[in-house]
Amino acid sequence: MPDGRKVTLKVGFAEQLRDIEVQLPAGEPKPWDARSELQVIGKPHPRLEAPLKVSGAAKYTHDIVPPNALWAAVLRSPHACAVVEAIDVAPAKGLPGVSAVLALVKPGERVIFAGQDIAAVAAKTPEQADAALRAIAVTYKPEAFVVDTAAAMQDGAPLVHRGKVQERSTEGDEPGAGGSAGQRGNIRTSPSMKKGDAHKGLRMAKVSHEATYTTQVHTHSALETHSIVVQWDGPKQATVWCSTQGIFSVRDEFAEVFELGPADVRVHTDFLGGGFGAKFGASAPGSRMGFIAGELARQAGAPVRLLLDRKEEHLCTGNRPDSRQHVKLGAGPNGQLTAIHVVAHGTAGIGTGAGVGRNAFGIYSRCPNILVESHDVFTHGGPGTAMRAPGHPQGAFALELALDELAKKLKLDPIDLRLQHDEHPVRRHQFELGRKQFGWDEGRKQAAVLRDKNARVRRGFGVAASIWGDFGRGKAVVATVSVARDGSVEVKNGLQDIGGGITTVVAQVVAEVLQRPVEAVRVRLGDSELGPSVGSGGSVTTASVTPAVRAAAEAVKEQLTALAAKQLDRKPEEVTWSGGQARAGSKSIAWAELCKKIEGEAVVATGTRPETYGAYPVKFMGGNSYQIAGVQFAEVRVDTWTGVVAVERVLAIHDCGKVMNPLTCRSQVQGGVILGTSYALTEQRVMDRVRGVMLNPNLESYKIAGARDVPRAIDVVFTPVDTGANNTGAIGIGEPSTIPTAAAIACAVHDALGVAVRDLPLTPDRVLAALGVVPTRGAS
Amino acid sequence: MSDRAGITRRGLFRGIGTAGLLAGCKPSERPPTTTDDPGAAASPGEETAVGPGPAPLSFTLNGEAKTLEVAPNITLLAALREQLRFTGTKVVCDRGACGACTVLIDGVPRNSCMTLAHDVAGAAVTTVEGLASGGKLSVLQQAFVRNDALQCGFCTSGMLMSCQGLLERTRGQKLAREDVEAAIAGNLCRCGTYPNVVAAVLEAAGGSA
Repeated sequence: MPDGRKVTLKVGFAEQLRDIEVQLPAGEPKPWDARSELQVIGKPHPRLEAPLKVSGAAKYTHDIVPPNALWAAVLRSPHACAVVEAIDVAPAKGLPGVSAVLALVKPGERVIFAGQDIAAVAAKTPEQADAALRAIAVTYKPEAFVVDTAAAMQDGAPLVHRGKVQERSTEGDEPGAGGSAGQRGNIRTSPSMKKGDAHKGLRMAKVSHEATYTTQVHTHSALETHSIVVQWDGPKQATVWCSTQGIFSVRDEFAEVFELGPADVRVHTDFLGGGFGAKFGASAPGSRMGFIAGELARQAGAPVRLLLDRKEEHLCTGNRPDSRQHVKLGAGPNGQLTAIHVVAHGTAGIGTGAGVGRNAFGIYSRCPNILVESHDVFTHGGPGTAMRAPGHPQGAFALELALDELAKKLKLDPIDLRLQHDEHPVRRHQFELGRKQFGWDEGRKQAAVLRDKNARVRRGFGVAASIWGDFGRGKAVVATVSVARDGSVEVKNGLQDIGGGITTVVAQVVAEVLQRPVEAVRVRLGDSELGPSVGSGGSVTTASVTPAVRAAAEAVKEQLTALAAKQLDRKPEEVTWSGGQARAGSKSIAWAELCKKIEGEAVVATGTRPETYGAYPVKFMGGNSYQIAGVQFAEVRVDTWTGVVAVERVLAIHDCGKVMNPLTCRSQVQGGVILGTSYALTEQRVMDRVRGVMLNPNLESYKIAGARDVPRAIDVVFTPVDTGANNTGAIGIGEPSTIPTAAAIACAVHDALGVAVRDLPLTPDRVLAALGVVPTRGAS
Repeated sequence: MSDRAGITRRGLFRGIGTAGLLAGCKPSERPPTTTDDPGAAASPGEETAVGPGPAPLSFTLNGEAKTLEVAPNITLLAALREQLRFTGTKVVCDRGACGACTVLIDGVPRNSCMTLAHDVAGAAVTTVEGLASGGKLSVLQQAFVRNDALQCGFCTSGMLMSCQGLLERTRGQKLAREDVEAAIAGNLCRCGTYPNVVAAVLEAAGGSA
């Protein structure tokens, strides 16, 4: 490997390409850039693990049953707030099949949300475990509670926390978010984002807009519930299977809880049934699952399976906080923004993290005066946690809809207003591209005609922008690539595939470097003993893992090159590779022949990736990473008699660096659009203000979009960018793809109706209320 | 396509055994036993009480005869997963709202969480494990792979069974997008794969998108 060197990279996008010089760290392969001609990367390839998934052979944590495994169940608080006066778990102990019983609260302790851990049991069957829970006697002294965000903000509201609040952060959180700037009553202020003087900017404005926008609590609702299976292999050694986005976060938390060395805990996640931000660590955000399963297994002397049910999944495993955002915009006479001011309050229940992201602060950066003030409002509800682009969909909704309302006052086209204030060249390119491809100008005209005619069924067109950062992590992943004497190729890493398709992408990278068929690369993931890796959160996976895999593959190739040189009796620098053969001059040696010459069992190398060394053309604020751009267009049909909104089309234009596998990448964007549509139209946690419990902890009245509820057409367009960030050019897409969807839909509804519906979800009653057909019920 | 309503009232009665259901009633409150139900009257043995403990149950699973002892309150889903260890069929909502547990019972897609195990006595049950034959993926499974009709894969088993049911009952007919969407209307997917599922089924059916 040569030492660190300077290389010239061709970076940029579309027609805007340029050469930059990059100093590479020692051992780092030259990054793939706009000049690279790649054979496998960038070509669609079906998922390698798909045959296992379509045949029922893929084993998820739910499916893991070690010999003699017991079934665990947890008793949960029925009260939003209560003091436990007495708890007696003894009656559960003698029941048939019961092997271990655990009290999780002590008399005198206060529980502060309905769904909190009270006690747990392990028994032979689920039915026996349920019977055991019913035998546990708990006496509660109920106390005053508040589950409504607005009510919790008032003076004299029941206090949720009586001491200092602990912030729980995970790999799902946006880097740089969090922290506190003070707490009063149930309101905890987050550090504000500030530029210029927004108050002055508002005073200078010729045209202004001011309104309050609200969004609902959104639950992750991954289809596989949080689950953990624990088997003690010795007093200080455990094997854990966990449905997790972060194998190492599970290992470290489990080791800490039971005072073990991390190496004494082995964690497996061969497959997981979705996560969306809620699955980090051995515990769920609102339930000490790792401790419960581990302790029950220890006491029972048998493996324990703890699989939450659907109700528990809604109550105690995290959610996207709600928001009430008071937005003030000011503009000069020709539409130049003079100020953006957002004051946001939201509840993450008993937890923190109800900020509204960086949409308002980061996208329309030509506005000189911006102030975003976020507050957590504590309520007696299950804790929120990171959910696919934490804060961003709520922030995008309020800001983008407010911009459209301002544009209307200014008689400006919404795209023109945005282009006037967005400095990101890729996003500007995306706006222009979408305007043409979506038929924006013509569509808006048609919408206006229907509006003017007061037609029953209207059409509307909306657009919204996405902002995220390339948070790909350096030095976090160690990948191992090996080529055995029989010519087989293997790549190993302790990574989990959440469903984004990283298994296939990893194989593609190795196949590209070693010129082998993708199917010939055996990928081993999902096990903490396969080498350090990252969590599947923050859209970092592909950017963090593929460069490490490539570095390892290149190191293996270098060894094979040396071996080929020896066989061909040439110098290594004379050896070239094509079609999987090593050549030097007129001589060549085929792959299989070359591999037979390997001394020992295999050629093995590990690789890692350095910190980012490029962020062309625009940096994400306050950091050294690239700012990922995206724009989505939505067309809706609104029935003004019934208030029903249907999404006809979404055009999602995204930048995700160098696209590794267009097939799986497209699926991921499509999934982001569908999640955003569901958030925009139907999903919401409904709390009973009288009893303090969630009224719809299920999948029939908590409505996630089905096949007939999604946009009739979803078009995905990638605008590839070579950022020079890492050696494969990969950056993330999981989160950016869901950020602007609900906002674009809300803007389209505004276009259709001529009035804005300022509360999510855009339910028929709210549409009719906005039209003045029915009285306003008010946001929850 | 209303033939996937899950458990029927008659099915429930058959599943737990009429006598078992009536055992909790005082003799004077018991309704007269009717014989106008050809299903219930088909076999005299079915009138025997089942439960409360495990009782023998025989049915065909993916073409193979199975006999096991199952308690009368156990769902088909629980019996498949927890007793027979056929874990391809997934538990998601366990109350008939999401379709993840869909299996074919005599060719008809049903929510196995809403079907008592004893309800399938004598029936032919097909789970996702039964779609491939001789180690070769079916045309539908291959179409799912090619069209990337799955991400995390947790809804996939149920999706496949709903789609397989559709293909079986419409064999040879040209399908439209709406037919597929109706067939999977009860199958929730959180990753957002619906459009790819539709494309896969249309491809497998030989139709066009």
